[in-house]
Amino acid sequence: MKSVILGIHLREEDVEPVTKAMRVADLFASTVGVDDDRPLADRDLLLEIAGVRAKLLDRATFVAVRYGLSVRDESELATKCGDRTAKWRELLIAHREEVEMTLKAPPAAPTARPDRRDFESGSAYLRALYAATYAVDVDAKFRARIEETLVPRATQHRWMRDNTSVELAMLVRRSDLDAIRDAGEELRRDFTSVPFLLSGPWPLEVFASDDHQQ
Amino acid sequence: MIISNEDDKLRESLTFAEPAIPERISADPEVVENGLAKLVLSIIELVRRLLERQALRRMDAGHLSDAEIERLGSALMKLEQKMEEMKKVFGLTDDDLNLKLGPVKSLD
Amino acid sequence: MADQEIELTVLEALDHLLDRGVVIAGEAVISIGDVDLLYLGLNVVLANVDALKRTSRK
Repeated sequence: MKSVILGIHLREEDVEPVTKAMRVADLFASTVGVDDDRPLADRDLLLEIAGVRAKLLDRATFVAVRYGLSVRDESELATKCGDRTAKWRELLIAHREEVEMTLKAPPAAPTARPDRRDFESGSAYLRALYAATYAVDVDAKFRARIEETLVPRATQHRWMRDNTSVELAMLVRRSDLDAIRDAGEELRRDFTSVPFLLSGPWPLEVFASDDHQQ
Repeated sequence: MIISNEDDKLRESLTFAEPAIPERISADPEVVENGLAKLVLSIIELVRRLLERQALRRMDAGHLSDAEIERLGSALMKLEQKMEEMKKVFGLTDDDLNLKLGPVKSLD
Repeated sequence: MADQEIELTVLEALDHLLDRGVVIAGEAVISIGDVDLLYLGLNVVLANVDALKRTSRK
């Protein structure tokens, strides 16, 4: 039996009885037991785990662990986490009353992709690709409305872009979720021609990840 | 909660790759080689897109040194080149691989 | 919930599960040079594609 790790939580009661908790330093990891010979790349397992994470989030905010980690026991988990638990603990305490919300939209107008044959160096090519990617944004009016009605309700926010979408990640107090929902409905009504997706709540993902750290 | 203006473009945006793996892989020997080639190339192309996406996210976060930018850029260029060569070898086009580039469009 | 909405919800849940969150173990890492870029084994990446494929066929 292996244990798939879902998230890192502040208290044991944030995890139990929804699912089994495993100690790691002074924190608790939520786990789901999986047969040793069951592959992790299983759609039903993925959906089951997504469901468990949603239930966990209902109880308390936690640091999301990217899917794919499975361990035998607590000591393996401790070894893998190392000294990062201190940082996670800080995040969990600081953002106890908050959740993440995500808004995604495809870029408004595609730009020409740089042709690699036009470039001598890897650096020049990647910079050009980056510039082309970041030259795009969502519809300007749409963006302005988001800045007016959604962003002010977030305690923190981050705009992100990559080669397929423009995204806004927000940290929002649980008590503000209804207001966010209302603002989202308004966006949908007023911008019928702009495809977008507002989803959540989510556990700490963007705001816990090393990727986007300053 | 999920609030959205549904659109095909949105789906492309959410799922960074169109489902690229062929429905059925034939047992017919003549077809097998081509079928496998499609499968392998589709997977490699998917990985290439994921790598590109991660590289762009890292650049956005300001987490890459100049040396890393050079290495990543070169590797991505080589991957793209290899993909093109292999497509030629197997006589496959982007359509065959069921690929549609996302909003940063190719000029091809 | 309408079918399309259910589908979007599933896609979105999978995207968050597979493409976000802290990375704890670098067992299956695809790197270029010294830069770790992809943390999941191909099997989980494939799961992503396969999961999405099956969902969108509904």
